[in-house]
Amino acid sequence: MNHPPIIETTAGALYPEAIDLDLVRKAHVPFAEESKIIEADGNTAAAYACLQMWRCMLFAGFPITPSTKWLETVAAVIRSGKVGTKKKLKLLEAEHAVADYLAGASAACRDLIFTTATSSVGLDHMTESTRSLGGSGLGNAMLVNVYRATANYPLCIEGDPSDALAHRDDGWIQFCCRGVQQIYDTVIQLPCLGMHPEVMTPTMPGYYGIKDSHRSSRLVLEADADVNTFQDRWIAPAKLPGLINGDTALGNCVTSQYFQGFKVDQRRRILRAFDLLSVIGADFEKTFGRPGLECIEKIRWPENEEAVDLAIVGMGPDMGTAAALADQWETSIHKRIGVLAARLIHPFPSHEYARILKDAKAILVLNQAHHSGPGHLSVDLAEACYDLQDPPKIISAFAGMGGAALTAETWQVMIDYATHAMKVPTRRVSPIVVHEGKIIWQKS
Amino acid sequence: MAKIIDIIQRESCFQPGSTLCAGCMESIAFQNIGKITDNGKKTIFGLGTFCGEVSTLQFPNPVAWGRGESTPEDWTKSFGILHHVFESAPTITEAIRDTVDVLSSVGAIKSDIQTISMSGDGGALAIGLRSLLHTINRQARIVSFVLVNEVFANTGFQYSPSASLGSDTSTTPATELHPGNMQPPLDYLGLAVNAGAGLVAQVSPAFPKYFLKVVETALECKGTAVIFIPSPCITGWKFADGETVELARLSCETGFFPCFLKKKGQPAEIKFVERDAAKRPPVEHFMGPQQRFQHLVRKNKETGQFEVRPGKEAVVEEIRTWIQTKLDALYRMA
Ligand SMILES: Cc1ncc(C[n+]2csc(CCOP(=O)(O)OP(=O)(O)O)c2C)c(N)n1
Ligand code: SF4
Repeated sequence: MNHPPIIETTAGALYPEAIDLDLVRKAHVPFAEESKIIEADGNTAAAYACLQMWRCMLFAGFPITPSTKWLETVAAVIRSGKVGTKKKLKLLEAEHAVADYLAGASAACRDLIFTTATSSVGLDHMTESTRSLGGSGLGNAMLVNVYRATANYPLCIEGDPSDALAHRDDGWIQFCCRGVQQIYDTVIQLPCLGMHPEVMTPTMPGYYGIKDSHRSSRLVLEADADVNTFQDRWIAPAKLPGLINGDTALGNCVTSQYFQGFKVDQRRRILRAFDLLSVIGADFEKTFGRPGLECIEKIRWPENEEAVDLAIVGMGPDMGTAAALADQWETSIHKRIGVLAARLIHPFPSHEYARILKDAKAILVLNQAHHSGPGHLSVDLAEACYDLQDPPKIISAFAGMGGAALTAETWQVMIDYATHAMKVPTRRVSPIVVHEGKIIWQKS
Repeated sequence: MAKIIDIIQRESCFQPGSTLCAGCMESIAFQNIGKITDNGKKTIFGLGTFCGEVSTLQFPNPVAWGRGESTPEDWTKSFGILHHVFESAPTITEAIRDTVDVLSSVGAIKSDIQTISMSGDGGALAIGLRSLLHTINRQARIVSFVLVNEVFANTGFQYSPSASLGSDTSTTPATELHPGNMQPPLDYLGLAVNAGAGLVAQVSPAFPKYFLKVVETALECKGTAVIFIPSPCITGWKFADGETVELARLSCETGFFPCFLKKKGQPAEIKFVERDAAKRPPVEHFMGPQQRFQHLVRKNKETGQFEVRPGKEAVVEEIRTWIQTKLDALYRMA
């Protein structure tokens, strides 16, 4: 190839024909020829979604509970030959190496998608690299984060989102999912967002370990052809050169004179996700008939957007329990209750929360991760509501940390606490920690 | 095997524009590697953080790497370079290699691409030993260069696990009580061989023909080729201008950095250094010109010769023993 077509870009020459993507697409052997209903747990659903994408040729991983089954599923399917013989799984020696590997591979070819899954200290072990990737512009890296408590004192393998929430400054687009179907659907949509030329930011779909990773339920597995047609509508050949199809340099050092400019650019790109995710989500809904990406899931909210007295905001599968119990709480406390589940946890959609919560009297925030202050979500919601004329009172509760069960009794204690707090005039409400129907700690 | 006269006339992907110290061996090595890899194949480099990266990939300085005078029309000069975190060079390069291979396996890439990693000895042997050994163990088809200057130069010349016995570094300072570093250096050649590298070499551009031969052989290697390049560091070792290449030569001849080549399954080759200590130049010849050894060796004002400082004989003897032990171990592989 002595005189190849060339596109000059700000990042160097791009040789659009150096990689024949059509041949990669054609080499894809479908995992599902037709849409079908199966039973799967969250890890399996996430793994299947990755395996169905023609752009996923190379997978990488290192085991850690509760994400391991993602890796085992990828290994089993690839080794079975069901998806052909060309897809490869790379078993690396540590999570750090996995994240480095994603960086190298994503930079090598910006048109393929490179995925892995990890949890807890596994994600922490990757930090040096995930923070670099966050600013890299490599939106084709995707990390499935199966939530598990971080810190090894004490070690706890169950699901709490302290890993995801501690990594929001890494700069990835992070989505929280609840339920197997939402996990599958989110994994399919996120590369469309991350690889969008105006976003170019790596993505991190996440879900609760054990509670969702290990719980099986019904999954509509779409046909590979449909998954890929959907993605192809959104993912065009990258406009910037990768290492293989370009003359380019990535990861340069900068002086302080330029550093902030790079960071502003990174921020601009990730903030574009706010607008684009709902457009991608709407297309997904139109295509597959299920809700697509959205910033916040209104699990229980007045149809006509009427105000609620008490909004309950949290993450993950326990918010479904809250929605199921809300009828009885409304009757007992005589207040209108709304339940919201966070979907986009980074960047935090403050504007969306402010819009939805502007007329609420109070917000009961369920925090399921250890935090040095009143809770990650509580801080973000306070900031989101800052400009409201009459901001809702924020009532922070910690419960379900380390994957502890959120029983009806535990919820009842939080509702009682919120109801009481709504009656008293003081604006600042002390956070509480609730466990098995009892307040086990309260800030004095 | 290309002829040296032809290589000299090639273009190098290492261009003017770096901020490496004048007299740094790394720029000589990069210049040579650049010319040797200008062989009609596209080249991709993966770099960890080290002097050779921070001084060559500074935005917005002209990036010191690239295709030089040739225009993008010539694909064979196409060049990509990635810097990622300190310890990551072998892993990111392995990932690039795998991506090339997986795309080639479906016919999506037609021409072969050479993939090369570069790290400092700190990046490869301290924080990145995991990365290096596992990439070797997986037989990744990359060439991994390790520029060995025995210190963490970029952060101010601190001790690195390859630091020679007796060397004064900023974290093993020579004092009245301590004769510099006394931790025996890591046997990195042995580690790389035992991890299963397809080729392990230690070679300096001070021996240009041999350097060319070894690098070209490495580029053909089917497994991981690891090349350690002893890299006299003018600022950290503190020697006079113009002595870089001479010190690199002496570092081999005195046994500090023997030229070594071992292809997997074949006997090793040890070059430009005698096994018999009596036939080698004395270690003082290498140590004397460097201030990092001045607490052990001085110049005799009358004779002009370097000699061991009175009272430091035992330390220098320890250095000699370490060198002999190391050489004997390498010769056992020959
Ligand atoms: C995780 C991490 N720890 C420490 C550093 C700081 N650091 C940058 S370069 C460097 C030393 C590099 O030493 P070496 O690999 O020997 O290369 P040289 O600077 O000598 O060329 C250090 C300690 C870093 N970048 N990342
Ligand atoms: S400090 Fe040493 S290794 Fe670094 S650029 Fe200068 S001479 Fe080279």
